[in-house]
Parts: sequence; C-alpha cells; structure tokens
Amino acid sequence: MKPLLILNDIRFRRDDFVLTVEQLELQPGRIYLVHGPNGSGKSTLLHLLALLLIPEGGEVRFAGRRIDGGVDRQRLRRQITLVEQNPFLFDASVYHNLAFGLRLRDVRGDLQRRRVTQALHAVGLMGFESRWAKALSGGEARRVALARALVLRPKLLLLDEPTAGLDREILPIFERCLAALPGQGTTVVIASHDADQSRRLAGITLGIDRGRVISAAGDSFTQLKENA
Amino acid sequence: MGFLFESLQQSLQLIFSLDREVFLAVWTSLYTSLTAIVLAAACGVPFGATVGLLRFPGRGAVLTLFNTLMALPTVVVGLVLFGLFSRQGPLGSLGLLFTPWAMIAGQFVLAIPIVANYTLAAVAGADPRILPTAQTLGAGRLQGVWQLLLEVRFGVMAAIVAGFGRVIAEVGVAMMLGGNIRGYTRTMTTAIALETSKGEFAFGLALGIVLLGVALIVNLFLNLLQQR
Repeated sequence: MKPLLILNDIRFRRDDFVLTVEQLELQPGRIYLVHGPNGSGKSTLLHLLALLLIPEGGEVRFAGRRIDGGVDRQRLRRQITLVEQNPFLFDASVYHNLAFGLRLRDVRGDLQRRRVTQALHAVGLMGFESRWAKALSGGEARRVALARALVLRPKLLLLDEPTAGLDREILPIFERCLAALPGQGTTVVIASHDADQSRRLAGITLGIDRGRVISAAGDSFTQLKENA
Repeated sequence: MGFLFESLQQSLQLIFSLDREVFLAVWTSLYTSLTAIVLAAACGVPFGATVGLLRFPGRGAVLTLFNTLMALPTVVVGLVLFGLFSRQGPLGSLGLLFTPWAMIAGQFVLAIPIVANYTLAAVAGADPRILPTAQTLGAGRLQGVWQLLLEVRFGVMAAIVAGFGRVIAEVGVAMMLGGNIRGYTRTMTTAIALETSKGEFAFGLALGIVLLGVALIVNLFLNLLQQR
C-alpha cells in the first residue's frame, strides 16, 4: 500500500531544540501512538505532520506528492486535522465550531447539518448543537474539539494528548470513536503518555526522545532509522 | 438659580417640540461622526490587527506614534487640515473646506489612532491558540485573522465606540473645517459654542442635553461590551 505521508531526512530547529526524523512512513488507515517524555518533541512532530511547520531540510510527501509551495501546502493541509492538547473552542455555539472547517471546504446546507449531527453523535454529544462552546465542561470541550476534527473526515488525524485529564467514564467513548477511524480510511497519530493506549487501540508505537524519532514497534510498514 | 431652571425648562421645550434648529445640528453631528467612524473602522481595524499580530523592526515606534496620536488636540488636526484644504493648500482644488466632508476628514484623523490602538490591544491580548486552531481546521492566514477578529469582536466594537465618543464630542475640527454654517456644517458642539456666546443659553443647553444623551448611550453600550 502507498504510504499516506512520508518524512525523509527531516530536520527542524527552534531555538535550542532540534527534531530529526530520518525516515517515517505513515500508512493509510492505521493508528500510530507517539510515546516520549515531556519536551521530547511529540507536539513538534505532530505540527510537522500537520504541515504547520516547515522543516529546515528534508522531504515531506503527502499522498505521493512532494510538498513545496505555500498554496500546495494549504490545499493539502485541508486533508489533515490536528487537535491540540489544550484545544481552543471558538466563542460561538457548538454547531458554529463544527461548521467552521466545513464552510472553508464549501460544505453547506443540509449536508453540513447532517455531518455536524453525525460527528456529535460519534463523540456522544447528541443535541449539543446550540450549546455555547465556552460554557462546556472540560471533558465536553475536548469531545467537541474531537468532533470538530472528525466532521472534516480528514485523511490524517493528529491528536496531541487527547485523553489527558479525561474522566474515566468518557475515555471508552473517546477510544471507541478513535478505534473506528481506520475503518473509515483515516490514519490517526496520537501523542500520548498512556503506554497502554497503544494496546487498547491496536496501534503502532513510535518512540521519540530528545527530538529524535528513534523506534517503532509492531508494524512492518513503518520504517524508522536511528540517526547516524 | 431661577435663570438655570428657566433655561432648563426652555431647553426641554426645544427638545420635546422637536425644534428644527436643534435637530438639524443633531443630524449634522450624527451623520458626519458616523461617516467618519465607519471610515476610521474600515482602516483602523485592519491596521491595528496587523500591528498587533506582526513583529517587525520599528513596531515600537509605530506603537509610540499611535499612542501619541490618541492625545492629538482637535484644533491641531483642524489647523493642519485647514492648511491642506484651504484655497492655497495642496488639496484646495477639491473645494472641501467648510463642507461636511472636511469635518469628516478631520474626525477620521482623530478617530483612527483610537480605533487602531484599541483594536491592537484586543488582538494582542487574544488567546494565542485562535490562529493555529483556525489553521489546523483548514483556514488560510487571512481567514484565520478574520476568525481572530470575530473572537475579539467585543474589543473591536469597544474600539469603534470609543472612537465615536471622541468625534461626536469634539469641537475644534468641526469649527475650523466646517465653519459652523447654519443648516449645513453646524454640529451640536459648534452650535453650543455659538449660541451660548450669543446669549441663547437655553438653546445651547438643549443641545448639551442631547449630546449628553448620545454620550450616555455610547458609554452604556461600551460598558455592556466590556462586561461580555
């Protein structure tokens, strides 16, 4: 199968921190879990995968296409969605939050309403459309942020510590939702501290330490080489 | 005291009898100030947002300049524009002097530093996650900035209202550039100055009450926005 996203000889520097990835291939319809200590570069890796950061050197290929210019990057970025560790919800209704990305993709009218309803259903927040986003609890806000990403049906969904601080009752809803995504053709990359999450989601583990993506386990399609 | 009570009584009679002179001055004030503030908002909001978001050499100087311009005396603006619009001035051929458009130009100059500065403060104080969130959902840079302005909409509206408060109450620009022509460029403030000097205290008081009413409405609106 053709990889969805390939990073080759990537080097990204911000102040004293350097992230290097010799080779990383993400296959379509798989779940990857990125493990590493605080400050190891998990969030930076997700931002690189989201095409939000431009590496100093190396090659990024998405769906077989080498990513170069700004217009191309923005167009391809619409197939990728990142949910940050501490997601920001717009000061508007839940519906408006979910419809934001759909409007940018020109999905309007009945189709928009249907997709918003489906996404809220998937995260267990049926009937939340008219609720004000800023008035939601922390757990509800995280689920709305996930629904806001799911509604876009991205090819690549990136989640930064999505379950940190979530109530125990909500965790299974969240993970059930994530586990269903590969079946819909979505590749999921999760930065997580929860080492057991990989097993629960049948995911592929990627290790990262001090800015170096250093290991992978359990998947023959993923190639990661240690920096020389 | 009898004089004051008598004048107050007469002024209320003028207001409630919808005196033509009073309402012509009120109308001129409102339409010149509203036009000036619409133009100032159209330029000041994007400018304030740009300076608030970008980091560039000389940004500190721009901030200092705009802070200084906020305290610009109205007669100085009147004086400079009088020089530009007078027959011998570089813009004399436009024939703007002693027209409502000259007053609008002066009020625009007075309002723009206020609108830009308050917008800048609102944008600079906005949640830093707004732009990246919009981008992760597929927004381009401009679409992201638009979303950011929507998020800080109450701050932006407060900036516009504060600018309006400044121009509706000013007298220097209206007097110097409008010429206080009855039924044409006579505003509430210039009429108050003139009528009081002529001994028509009740007429001046009537306009003062209306002006106070407008200022009260503007401030109530501003308070309402700040509480949001």
